[in-house]
Amino acid sequence: MTTSYDASPSIDVIDATVPLAPGQATRTLRLQRDKVVAATQGSYDAMFSPAVEGLSVAERLLVALHACSVSKAATLAAHYREQLLAEGADRELIAAVGSGAPVADARLRTVLAFTASLIERPIEGDEASVGVLAEAGLSTPAIVALGQLIAFLSYQIRVVAGLQALAAAEVQA
Amino acid sequence: MSAVPIRIKGFTNEVLSWKPWLDPVVVATATPAQLAALDEMSPQARTSPYFLVLAHQPEMLLQRSIAFNAIMFAPGGMPRAERELGATVESRVNGCVYCASVHAQRFEQLAKRNDVISQVFEEPASAGTTAREKAIVEFSIRLGAEPDKVSAEDVRTLKEAGLSELEILDLIHSVALFAWANRLMLNLGEPVFPAAAAS
Repeated sequence: MTTSYDASPSIDVIDATVPLAPGQATRTLRLQRDKVVAATQGSYDAMFSPAVEGLSVAERLLVALHACSVSKAATLAAHYREQLLAEGADRELIAAVGSGAPVADARLRTVLAFTASLIERPIEGDEASVGVLAEAGLSTPAIVALGQLIAFLSYQIRVVAGLQALAAAEVQA
Repeated sequence: MSAVPIRIKGFTNEVLSWKPWLDPVVVATATPAQLAALDEMSPQARTSPYFLVLAHQPEMLLQRSIAFNAIMFAPGGMPRAERELGATVESRVNGCVYCASVHAQRFEQLAKRNDVISQVFEEPASAGTTAREKAIVEFSIRLGAEPDKVSAEDVRTLKEAGLSELEILDLIHSVALFAWANRLMLNLGEPVFPAAAAS
């Protein structure tokens, strides 16, 4: 099963953003944990599903771009920039969010500030920050979606970074 | 569990509770998708305030639960105790007292000792009772705190300490998973210590 699976092109976002090529040793290694591969892509699909209410897909992609930019995860930031363009997001807004420049929209500004704080200084999370999101108009399910999204991005950034290190060691071996 | 609990720098291996800052889903009125996501996580999830808050987004919880169990319980590869060590180090570095307590307990259940847990709570940078354990702890700190700085050199160091590539992959997944879990625990609620819970 692993063999036929591995012959396919990039099967998911992680493969595409590391990047890992079919037949590459690190990709074959990764596929030994096929349940993790499937649930990681399944989580990505859930995080950006149009079925999630209260936070638009474009808003979620902007959160992802900001999180990856702040974390210096270049290939993932490029992925989310592409997704935003495909979604028809404003190019100036994409540039601003990617570079950390201020944005005009107050709700988006609140969401992005929460994003940067949770990515960089998770210990600073407090009840007041959750209250600020509620005051900005986010429902309880939307706040949970935002928290899950930012937390998932922290995971995705580290999975990609770890696989990039494994792939680099493979080249230098 | 040891008779005398570890209490170092605000971290402990005692059983803590967790108080959410958002209203949890009520089981009696939960949707089938919400119940399925809770049950995928564990048999206890229906009584956990943490999982009941996450159940507001059932598909996210479902996928996260599958990922969690696949990473922490998959057979082969890195011994489960060492995955728990990676999880505990990441939680210590992020300051997640609740996650650190749960996974310190799991490490102890699996390894039948907690010497390295005291070291991690005291000073993660120098923790580890063997060269292999030190390498695991150092890599966990690095991937947790500075993922952009992780390199082929770090992989070589782990291999020199005796880790196979599958073990390294398992460690990456475990640390990354707790980058995820810590941020939920730290931002949607707070830990409650036994004395406070009893009062």
